[in-house]
Amino acid sequence: MAKDAEKTMDLLQGTLDMLVLKAVSLGPLHGYGVLLRIRQISQDRLEIQQGSLYPALYRLEHEGWIAGEWGQSDNKRRARFYHLTAAGRRRLEAEAKKWNQFADVVGTILSTVPEGTAASR
Amino acid sequence: MSVGSRMKTWWRAVTRGAEVDAQVDEELRFHIESYAEDLMRGGMAREEAWRQAKAELGSLAAARENSRQAWGTSGFDELRGDLRYALRMLAKSPGFALIAVGSLALGIGANTAIFSITKHVLLDQLHVPHAGQLRLFAWTSKPDSAVHSVWGDYHSTAGGVHSSSFSYPIYQELRRQNRDLSDLFAFKDAGRMDATVNGQAEVVHSELVSGNYYQQMEVQPQLGRAIGPADDKPGAQPVVVISNGYWTRRFNRSPSVIGKTILLNLQPVTIIGVNPRGFTGANSVQTSPEVFAPIAQEPLLVARIWTGSILESPQRWWVQIMARTRPGASEAAAQAQLDATLHSAVLALMKPKAGDDIPRLLITDGSHGMNEAARQFSQPLHVLLALSGLVLLLACANIANLLLARSAARQREMSVRLALGAGRARILRQMLTESLLLAACGGALGLLLGYVGQIALLRLTADPSASEAAMQTSFSWGVFAFNAALALLTGILFGVAPAWQSMRTQVHSSLKDNATTTTRRRHGYGGKAIVGFQIALSMLLVAGAGVFLRTLVNLNRVDPGFDTRNLVLFEIDPPQSRYPTGKEGALYDQIEERLAATPGVESVSAASIPLLARDNSNDDFVPAGMKPAKGENTAENDDYVGDRFFATMRIPIVAGRSLGPQDTTSSLKVAVVNEALARKYYKGGNPVGKTFTTSDEENQELLYTIVGVCANTRYSSLRDDPPPTFYLHYRQAPDVSWGMTFIARTRVARAAIAPSLRSAVQSVDRDLPLINVRTQKEQIDEITMDERLIADLTGGFGILALVLACIGIYGVMAYSVSQRTNEIGIRMALGAERARVQRMVLGEASWMAVLGVVAGLGGALALARLIASMLYGLNPYDPATFAGSALLLLGVALAASWIPARRAAGVDPMRALRHE
Repeated sequence: MAKDAEKTMDLLQGTLDMLVLKAVSLGPLHGYGVLLRIRQISQDRLEIQQGSLYPALYRLEHEGWIAGEWGQSDNKRRARFYHLTAAGRRRLEAEAKKWNQFADVVGTILSTVPEGTAASR
Repeated sequence: MSVGSRMKTWWRAVTRGAEVDAQVDEELRFHIESYAEDLMRGGMAREEAWRQAKAELGSLAAARENSRQAWGTSGFDELRGDLRYALRMLAKSPGFALIAVGSLALGIGANTAIFSITKHVLLDQLHVPHAGQLRLFAWTSKPDSAVHSVWGDYHSTAGGVHSSSFSYPIYQELRRQNRDLSDLFAFKDAGRMDATVNGQAEVVHSELVSGNYYQQMEVQPQLGRAIGPADDKPGAQPVVVISNGYWTRRFNRSPSVIGKTILLNLQPVTIIGVNPRGFTGANSVQTSPEVFAPIAQEPLLVARIWTGSILESPQRWWVQIMARTRPGASEAAAQAQLDATLHSAVLALMKPKAGDDIPRLLITDGSHGMNEAARQFSQPLHVLLALSGLVLLLACANIANLLLARSAARQREMSVRLALGAGRARILRQMLTESLLLAACGGALGLLLGYVGQIALLRLTADPSASEAAMQTSFSWGVFAFNAALALLTGILFGVAPAWQSMRTQVHSSLKDNATTTTRRRHGYGGKAIVGFQIALSMLLVAGAGVFLRTLVNLNRVDPGFDTRNLVLFEIDPPQSRYPTGKEGALYDQIEERLAATPGVESVSAASIPLLARDNSNDDFVPAGMKPAKGENTAENDDYVGDRFFATMRIPIVAGRSLGPQDTTSSLKVAVVNEALARKYYKGGNPVGKTFTTSDEENQELLYTIVGVCANTRYSSLRDDPPPTFYLHYRQAPDVSWGMTFIARTRVARAAIAPSLRSAVQSVDRDLPLINVRTQKEQIDEITMDERLIADLTGGFGILALVLACIGIYGVMAYSVSQRTNEIGIRMALGAERARVQRMVLGEASWMAVLGVVAGLGGALALARLIASMLYGLNPYDPATFAGSALLLLGVALAASWIPARRAAGVDPMRALRHE
């Protein structure tokens, strides 16, 4: 898979969990499906390290936010499908809210222009 | 986040690791396959696609590891790995494991057993709700106390006397005036009583209790009802509550026992209740009386020597008082107020003479009951606890030593681990895991040994006469916790030094071949210091065992002054109701006569005090013409005996005559005194024909004429020199209603003759049981039980210490020799003789031993003072014992280093150097 350093972004620390929760919230997915879904939603702009995906899934399951079940994949093979639990949904909402506030604040700070500059414009 | 789900995954990962791992593997394989297919669809070659898919996911093993980290089970996995590794290491050196676990088990077992007994005797509280609230009343006074007559607990202290006995009228007065404590209640260990159940007579132990006793103890019977205030009134229907043990043993736990009437000291009493399991009354937690009766029945059940009941006598102090503290109320205030009450009650009721000291009230801890055993066993138990602690320390030192040697030998292994990237903390943990595993094995085995040892100890200490009220087993969670803590502590104690050692391993130096020579010196030093410490501890233990063994030997060598062989003893305790004062003499005559006629009996006599039984009695002895100063102690030991006492005991009569059939109730009152008394009062002159006075219970003076002098005998104990003693005939003695000990010199063994003795007594009165049938030897064994127990145990500890020291010395010297093979080879190549090499090694060992022995000697001398009062016939600084122990240890040290020395001398210089 060709990678374009300009187009893909590295994940901010701690956001992987949130993205996985979001991906799973749209419908049950197996691990590889989570990867594809995130890539698809982000329109290939976000690349997830495959090695860190599974520990994240197990951690989320350990916390009780997602639950895994064995089922059949599209190509008729046994795969483990994850779906969001009620606790996971609350968690996702909280995380999303926090993220939006954070993005808002950071955005505000970054869009601030020096007063002098405004006057001279 | 949910704790529940975390627990679930953790538990699943821990318990079904393989299954979970397989699932993870399957999941990851699916991922790789799907990805590879996608790649191939994108036009990649099959092999290349698979390679890339695998590479991007990373290694499967790492992913699995990561997943376990996510579940928080990695710590557990590592521990499991450490444990498995530790087990493998131990299995590889079974000799080491055996020695380590074995010595630990012995050390921990000894401590567990002795701790469990100590806890039982000194720490366990009465099994009643909130035992911590219980307070026991006591008093102290100067030696010239206003209290002249005490039945029961009474002790001389440095400044006077101490007792927890009160007179009944004073108890009632204290109870009336009490404001700060909860209602006062009273009890009394009334000793043995004759119980007749379904026509069969036996002896039971009894306790008298006040009417509010059960209510204040907060104890409910498991069956029937408790004794209440209505039962504790004069004229009330006589009732008793029986113990759980007696109910089980005698009545087979039958519920129909309620309402049953039995004879207690020949009085019909009705059983109204059965105490709950574990309740032992207020005396102690060790044994339980079998019957509990209201104090108001004292005149019926107990009264014998007194004219009238002791319930009304303010002069006789006998009853114990307890109360519970009230939350918020001050104990100090209660003590002050009740002390004032006691003071005025003594003045008003007893009318003491001027100069008599009025007792001062003390409120003491009653949570253990009266607990007489604590007084008797406190010191021996503390000594044993300390010594067993030393043994455990010794075992720890031994294992630390062995581990140190092993850790030195394992330096290469540690270097390899460090080189491969193991953290130092990880290695420390690995080493500690091994130590703790050893400790846990030792602890588990020690628990088993401790349990067995504890039962054996209880069997040794149990008073044969109290065997009916068998001591309750004391193994409990407290003991288990002590055992576990001990194992953990020892594991850390002996594991830390070797672990530290291995953590400091240098990667580079150890991986080089000659590393051993550069680090040798430091290790050797540490090991030798530990061995020196071991020898010092062994010295302490061996010297301790030595002085206690010599004490026992000295006691066994004591000549008691009479022939202790072939004597069978038992007590007869005639109930006062059938044999009122004055009538007992005829009964004793009759029993003596029947016993003497029994085949196999050579000679028989009654005595009020059996010799060497820790019993004693003393009465006034005032020679005619002597005026004792006021307050002077004129009491001497006495014994009321039968016609053939001196002949039966084989005590020689040195002047005058013995007591005999001619001394009757109506003839001249006569006495025999021993030589010690003759020397004290008659200064070597012949006392025969002299008279003296003694006094009876009513303080009336009685005149006796001395008709003979007998040889000295030990009286109540083997330790005390023969005290001045006078003997009266029981027919002429002031009071013999307390019962008699019958002593028979027999031609056959006790077991063979006991039944015929029993039938002889029962031919006189079938309701009279023989109490406590034993031989004189058994009787002596019983009073020297403490000494024998301590000598046995400390002797065992001493041998254990020697064995451990032996192992330690051998281990260190053998290791040192093996490490120095090169050096020894060089020495020999340069011309050192074999004998010289051998001497060098032995010399090294003896230095270690000498330093250890000197240190141990210092410790022993410092501690000897503490046990001085437990010794007999030798000084605590006994030079012979100390010199003997020192020589023994030096000998053991040399013997243990003999084999390593021989091995050193046998080194072949060529091979040693080639090995390099």
